[in-house]
Amino acid sequence: MTSIEDTVALPAAAPTRLRAERPTMLVAGAALLVLVALAAVFAPLLASHDPTVATGLALERPSTTHWFGTDVPGRDLFAQLVYGARASLSVALLAGSLSMVGAILVGVLPGLVGGLTDSLSSRAVVFLLALPGLPLLVLVGTLAGDSRLAIILLIAFVGVAPNARILRSQTMSLRQRGFITAARGFGGGPLYVLRRHVVPGIGPLVVIGFVNWAGVAIGLEAGLSFLGLGDPTGVSWGLTLNRALSEQGIYFSDMWTWWVLPAGLGITAAVLGFTFLGVALEPRFNPRWLRSS
Amino acid sequence: MKGQNDGAARLGRGLLRLGGYVATIAALLSLNFLLPRLMPGDPIDSLLAQSSANFTLGEESRAALEEYYGVDKPMKEQFVQYVRDLAHGDLGRSVATNATVTSEIARRLPWTLLLIGTSLTLSTLIGVAAGVHSGWRRGRAMDKGLLSGLLVAREFPSFLLGSLLLLLFAVKLDWLPLFGAETPFLTSAGLVERAVDIGRHLLLPAAVLTIGLTAGTFLVMRAGMVGELGSDHLLVGRAKGLRERRLKYGYAARNALLPVVSLTGLQLGFVLTGNVLIERIFAYPGLGQLIFESIPSRDYPAVQGTFLLLSISVVTVNALADVLSRRLDPRIAS
Repeated sequence: MTSIEDTVALPAAAPTRLRAERPTMLVAGAALLVLVALAAVFAPLLASHDPTVATGLALERPSTTHWFGTDVPGRDLFAQLVYGARASLSVALLAGSLSMVGAILVGVLPGLVGGLTDSLSSRAVVFLLALPGLPLLVLVGTLAGDSRLAIILLIAFVGVAPNARILRSQTMSLRQRGFITAARGFGGGPLYVLRRHVVPGIGPLVVIGFVNWAGVAIGLEAGLSFLGLGDPTGVSWGLTLNRALSEQGIYFSDMWTWWVLPAGLGITAAVLGFTFLGVALEPRFNPRWLRSS
Repeated sequence: MKGQNDGAARLGRGLLRLGGYVATIAALLSLNFLLPRLMPGDPIDSLLAQSSANFTLGEESRAALEEYYGVDKPMKEQFVQYVRDLAHGDLGRSVATNATVTSEIARRLPWTLLLIGTSLTLSTLIGVAAGVHSGWRRGRAMDKGLLSGLLVAREFPSFLLGSLLLLLFAVKLDWLPLFGAETPFLTSAGLVERAVDIGRHLLLPAAVLTIGLTAGTFLVMRAGMVGELGSDHLLVGRAKGLRERRLKYGYAARNALLPVVSLTGLQLGFVLTGNVLIERIFAYPGLGQLIFESIPSRDYPAVQGTFLLLSISVVTVNALADVLSRRLDPRIAS
């Protein structure tokens, strides 16, 4: 939830040297994401079991056949870990990109068109920002039943307003700086202006917004499936944790080390990967940083 | 004349903001009414679903159920009834327990308020204190350490942190209780003993929430302090020969504190969010636990009632924080 600080802190914040150069963050974030992506891509090769059906006895200890043991009906926990990477990454990519598409539609385009469209859409954004995110997610998630797609669309929807606000203010500042008017005056068509001036101005912010929201989406999806929302038969790190914590006495044996810890660390790695990447890209891409340095 | 105009303009802006607030609340109420009715599969469907205990009732009881929950009437009539019930504080009955949603919420609200209140207070105090020191001594080792440490702590998933702390302190070390908000049947104990018991139950969930919140306050406070560093009034204060402490707290921190007010309003939304997960981990009997228990039984009235309460309080607190920071800082008002 980076948006809280962005609203209040950034205008007053003077960039420090510490924030301006962050190769460590970039490397750490990229490394974590590559790890998660490898698990997601090669899941069928890495895991020799189907994560959704019982392939062993219930609550087996780790062994050569089941590296991380099994859960209650006997589903392989290692398979759940690597296939869980798929679930998390797909949510991150889908919800992240969809929310940015929405943010461009609501924030950038009306900002360029101006007039009534602009004032209506910025009103809508202000209203959407006032809605509390997770309670709304839980309400609609409960109503939507076992649909995974609904959860992804919802997470994307919640991301539209905060990102649209950031993109809109950048669009406004681009418009005010006059070179767009100049280009139009010299006979540049709308497409030329879009390609030459708008995309380079907005693009970096879209990338940062996507990376940040992808990280938020992973946390939200994990939280929702941890609460038992979404497809109960699917595979997700949050769901694995939900089942683990529903198990009586999960803490009173060694079970948690191969049941709670891997899924929890998976979520941590994915969320931190996107966060680090976002923090590292910010000074390179964000015009606010570029201007002040 | 100018003053009069100013006053009228200020009144106009105030009314505009009040209008925005009322519109948001009205939209929330309508959203809460419309969502379950517009979503595919109405509540009655899930009541009669194969997984529910009422499955044996069959289709003929659908009409009776629809009448009982009042969803057989036309939309307009339902909406009037919904608003009338709300005005009486009637949120309907829980499908799962058949108790009124209001009583279910009233039973749990004090625990959530205790948990959220403690965490927000602690995180604001710690965040402000750390932010003041960090910003004042910007770039020093302590500043860098606090900055990166708190950032990582904030992104660390709260449910993993929660279960690890639980495992360490409640299971391995056996210092703190494993779940709940108080030891059952301790009513005969003295007041002090009960308070200690409740505090011991509160410690871990409040700690996890506090860790998640502190970074936000810290960042805002630190940024505010850094912004104050080169300001003229500090220079004048220094020229007057004021002590460092006075400059730091009385001059810089005093001004930098303002954004923290609106941040704390925003953080209430965040803490209500995180709270649901934390209460699940620690089996803390607050509103989050109510939501969690309502999900498997698709207990719409309970989830809706909690959603309404949570969202209205978030919107209200944000509006109050807005008013308060305008009062505190005339620069925002003009």
